[in-house]
Amino acid sequence: MSPADPHPHSMVIAADYRVPNPERVWPLLKRRKSALAGIGAHHVLLYTSTHDHGRVLVTIGVRSREPIVELLRSRVFFDWFDAVGVEDIPAVFAGEIVERFGSIAPSARTAPGVVLAAIASVDDVTTLAAEIRGALTRFEAAGIRETRLFRAFDDGHEVMILQELDDEDRARRWIDHPDAAAPWITGAGVGAYPPLFVGKLFDMMRIDE
Amino acid sequence: MFVCLCNGITGQVVAEAIADGASTTNQIAAACGAGADCGRCRRTLRLLLGTSSGDRGGVHT
Repeated sequence: MSPADPHPHSMVIAADYRVPNPERVWPLLKRRKSALAGIGAHHVLLYTSTHDHGRVLVTIGVRSREPIVELLRSRVFFDWFDAVGVEDIPAVFAGEIVERFGSIAPSARTAPGVVLAAIASVDDVTTLAAEIRGALTRFEAAGIRETRLFRAFDDGHEVMILQELDDEDRARRWIDHPDAAAPWITGAGVGAYPPLFVGKLFDMMRIDE
Repeated sequence: MFVCLCNGITGQVVAEAIADGASTTNQIAAACGAGADCGRCRRTLRLLLGTSSGDRGGVHT
């Protein structure tokens, strides 16, 4: 993205980190709604880990003309980390959606699913998307309702994958025996990449522009 | 991933600094600026120092 770009870009910013008290996270996010609107945020989703107490994943959908570096440097993020008691600022994913692969219609879903999130480096994002497309029947059989693939702005090999599965047992089985079209399962947790995140959607906020 | 929000430094850039010989967070800061301002990303820098390939090493088949 160039600083002079006149068109707003849709992007996703995601951070996976630990907080002393997960219960405080959502009220503090809601309190920052206007500041988030100020950077072009339109959706904020909070996921809490099911087994790793204190671990949360926040994804923010943003539409902005600002370069990503300027957005991340804004006080909104630092103030937010301060408010939730995070001293060590985590690495932050910033990218855009490549494709959403839905294998189960939302109307057919009977209960909230479990979310499995991964950030990893892959050979080729376009090839990965094609492989996922070709494996959707197997994904569905494994209890995967939806797969969202995001590509990082700063690294052409880096992806974030958010998958929704039927339940925790399915998620564990998927992690233990991933499909060949899901190489990110073994690539998470390397270097600055956080380990696989297994959790549930805590809440979602839509911010009107 | 963006490791240092103050200076917009990515994991790739930090990995290059490490590959070029940086072996402490101070040396990384001197080489590329990551961690040079507020210093709150130094925990992540230490993680990267622990995996000399930086962000990479995951899923290249």
